Amino acid sequence: MKAGLDAVTSKVEVLTEKVKADHFPTADGISYLEAKHLLLLNYCQSLVYYLLRKAKGLSIKGHPVVRSLVEIRLFLEKIRPIDKKLQYQIQKFTRVDTTAAEKIGSSDKEVDATQNMDDLLKLRPNPDMLESKTSAASEDATGVYRPPKFAPASMAEDKISREERNALRKEKQALRQARQSTYVRELMNDLQGRPEEVKEFVGTESRELTEYKEKLEDRARREEDLFTRAPLTKLEKKKMKHMKKSRNGLQGLTESFFDEIKTLPVEDDVGGQITGFENDVDGDRKFKRRKPKLSFALAQEALRKKKLMPWVESAMNLDATNQLPAFFCQR
Amino acid sequence: VNIMAESKASITIRTRKFMTNRLLSRKQFVIDVLHPGKANVSKAELKDKLATMYEVKDPNSIFVFKFRTHFGGGKSTGFGLIYDSVENAKKYEPKYRLIRTKAGDAAKAGKKK
Repeated sequence: MKAGLDAVTSKVEVLTEKVKADHFPTADGISYLEAKHLLLLNYCQSLVYYLLRKAKGLSIKGHPVVRSLVEIRLFLEKIRPIDKKLQYQIQKFTRVDTTAAEKIGSSDKEVDATQNMDDLLKLRPNPDMLESKTSAASEDATGVYRPPKFAPASMAEDKISREERNALRKEKQALRQARQSTYVRELMNDLQGRPEEVKEFVGTESRELTEYKEKLEDRARREEDLFTRAPLTKLEKKKMKHMKKSRNGLQGLTESFFDEIKTLPVEDDVGGQITGFENDVDGDRKFKRRKPKLSFALAQEALRKKKLMPWVESAMNLDATNQLPAFFCQR
Repeated sequence: VNIMAESKASITIRTRKFMTNRLLSRKQFVIDVLHPGKANVSKAELKDKLATMYEVKDPNSIFVFKFRTHFGGGKSTGFGLIYDSVENAKKYEPKYRLIRTKAGDAAKAGKKK
């Protein structure tokens, strides 16, 4: 080991002589890679000294070597992203065989080697590979335009025609609507023998209200599952206030009206002019119903023209709740 | 006109999703309270009823919270816990609930002074 140490010392002495004689000028600054090497070397040195002190049992408290260790570590961490960016290029260079050894020496001097790219870097854009738009399309001899196929097409095994699909959808929709109607619900409850639920409500229940209640119940079920409560947002509180306002319970009165008369032979222009007949007094536009409602006046006009059954006319002249039960009984 | 403040109907309590939580040494469940005619039921009353239902020695180890009245009134749902002992309750229950039942120290609690 002594022989190795002697050899190293002699070599270092020669180098220091050369540096003092200005053989390696650093007036133009040193390249990034050289700086990195120097940092790493310094770090290793400091580490070795640190371990030496520890091995000998000397204290390292307040010793400048600790500080220099930390500093160099910091620098190394800071240059890590630059390293990452240059990694591709450096790899390219190191992969090249020895004939390009001189090129490595020359590019070392560049800190940010984006300029002076040579052909070794293949990642640059290649305009020769671009496809011209005109060449592909005009190849068709028959003159028929065939759009280029670049989206995957699904091979549907059983093709459902459009009519069948529409019919299926209509069925599903009808089923869903029927399930929601109260009459069918009562029927189902009877058949399945569920206990009778007596709910108190004022007037007829509107669809909006039933939907809202269902949403609340769903939410409650989920909260109970998790044994926590989700806080009510401002929007939800607003909606709750809106629902709890007493509006004489006549909300649901005319909701199914349109459904009932749409099968009747009414003129077509009535269907076109559908406006909301119930306006919120304070203008909560967020809670306005999306489904368009039939305008009372227009419907009245149309039906009067057609001179339909008197019960329909009486339904439209309805004023208060007390007429309601009688009207329903007559049917 | 004198309106009777008391309602004749009595309060019914049902518990659902009963679970024994050994880790926190308590029993937890969902409470359904039926109170037709009343706005809601006070927590103290609920605690008494639960104490009789589950034969709990110390009503101070029962906690009920997060009650919400259903739409239309008459029914409310909330959560309930019964601890094995009051010391366990003091250990595991959050401070605000202890303060509600005067079991906790209101002066000590709170970061804003």
